Amino acid sequence: MRPVSTTVRYARLTWQLSAVSMHRLTEYRMDFLLGAGGLLLRVVCQVAVIGMVFRQAPEIAGWHYDQVLFLLGFSLLPRGLDRMFTDQLWILARKLVQNGEFFRYLIRPVHPLFSLLSERFLYPDGFGELLTGAGLVWYAADRLALTPDTAQLLLAPVLVLCGTLILASIKTLFASLAFWTTNSFPALYAANQLGDFSGYPLDLYHPSLRWLLTWLLPYAFTAYIPASYLLFGRAPLLPWLFAVTAGLVALALAVWHRGVDRYEMTGS
Amino acid sequence: MTRAGTVPARLRRYAPFTAASLQGLLQYRATFLINALTAATAVGVQVFLWRAVYAGRSGGMPGGYDLPHLTTYVLLAQVLGLMQANRVDEEVSGEVQRGDIAVSLLRPVSYPLARFAAGLPVSLTNATLVAVPVVVLYALLLPLSVPSPQGALLFGCSAALSLVIGFGVNLLVGLAGFVTTNIWGVRIVKDSVVAFFAGQVVPLALMPGPLAAVAQALPFQGMVDGPLRLLLGRYHGPLEAASILGVQLAWAAALSALAALAWRGAVRRVEVLGG
Repeated sequence: MRPVSTTVRYARLTWQLSAVSMHRLTEYRMDFLLGAGGLLLRVVCQVAVIGMVFRQAPEIAGWHYDQVLFLLGFSLLPRGLDRMFTDQLWILARKLVQNGEFFRYLIRPVHPLFSLLSERFLYPDGFGELLTGAGLVWYAADRLALTPDTAQLLLAPVLVLCGTLILASIKTLFASLAFWTTNSFPALYAANQLGDFSGYPLDLYHPSLRWLLTWLLPYAFTAYIPASYLLFGRAPLLPWLFAVTAGLVALALAVWHRGVDRYEMTGS
Repeated sequence: MTRAGTVPARLRRYAPFTAASLQGLLQYRATFLINALTAATAVGVQVFLWRAVYAGRSGGMPGGYDLPHLTTYVLLAQVLGLMQANRVDEEVSGEVQRGDIAVSLLRPVSYPLARFAAGLPVSLTNATLVAVPVVVLYALLLPLSVPSPQGALLFGCSAALSLVIGFGVNLLVGLAGFVTTNIWGVRIVKDSVVAFFAGQVVPLALMPGPLAAVAQALPFQGMVDGPLRLLLGRYHGPLEAASILGVQLAWAAALSALAALAWRGAVRRVEVLGG
């Protein structure tokens, strides 16, 4: 009974805190439009670049224009979801340990990580990515006349969810380094930057880079592998998805807990 | 005689801004690492993409670029991008948001000029400490085209002008802090749109006609595409080279004037709100 009531409590808190954030959305409407619109424009530019690249060759590394658009769109779904719920980790990496304000999150009657993230639940800027991503996926799937089978339809949301968890774990992992180095912003930024490679087919890259993006910083599992499965019905690495997600979440939480323990030791 | 003496004396007033900015930069050395990684990633994505394009083509050259030329373009486009990342937009919008701008108003110097003096070392440090390692890295990995001495000289002049254009754009973005609190969003817009129309991602020669025409009419092409056309010798005769520089000069002047105008308007706004 305990775990169930805990889950219900956290779900209710998430709901309520998200509702609070939605007020921010209506209060600072211009800010929201700028943030979400900015991310939208960034995607528009990216699509334009892909279009210009494909003007020069009909097929790149075995991928067609619409397939690359699908991949780009899919990569935005976990990214947008992750941005909507874990953006506070950037602040942790940048200054919360440095200026000592992190203790605030330790004295609330919820899990400190939840407490930290809840500061920016449903961060509106993420809507830009999520909606453009969904639009792109829809558009590309329509042009490709994609007919997913039942397994693919059922798995698609799970794939997005796992991708979100992977992104959030990588972020937690690198942000937690701040507990040791007081400012882990450069490390977090660098890890995040490498994610830019994942919006394109990994077949383009040198095998060493592909290996790095699959096994070291598994961005491949957030876009390339699930999108290949949905597009071509095959992805040899897909069975690894759950193991990779579970392993990474466990690792991120372990590092987080060690970091928080360390913080308490030096705090008082 | 007296006039010649006053101009350097006036300029010397801005030296402390340059010095302070340089000291600040050396405090935050991690920024260089971030910038280097961002540029290296961007170049990597583009280069891999274009290599696949050339591999998939039967013949011909997109927009007249062969692969070493295009690789050089993509690489140096990021270098120019780094030089124009002078943090002026961050610093100005930060001052506006924190209210520190009030202090800056009391100083007996021109605020835009002081910002330029503080932004210059950022550009130059980025160009040396960040860009050089990135260029060396890719020069070791990929075949690049070596520019002619004439091209290098023209590029030098053009790059200097591109710094002024980049400064004007960033100052205007920074001043947007007077209008909105989500300067992060404005900067995302700026980063993607400006980079796109500057030709930082794809050379203007590879854009479809109407888009290239729009890009050609905007000031941003003078930030990347113009300097690189001069470097790679992609112009016909000295007249066209001169016109590339002339257009840059005109835009540099126009944007400086616009920034000065915006600054005046902004100051008036501060006085109204300050009470």
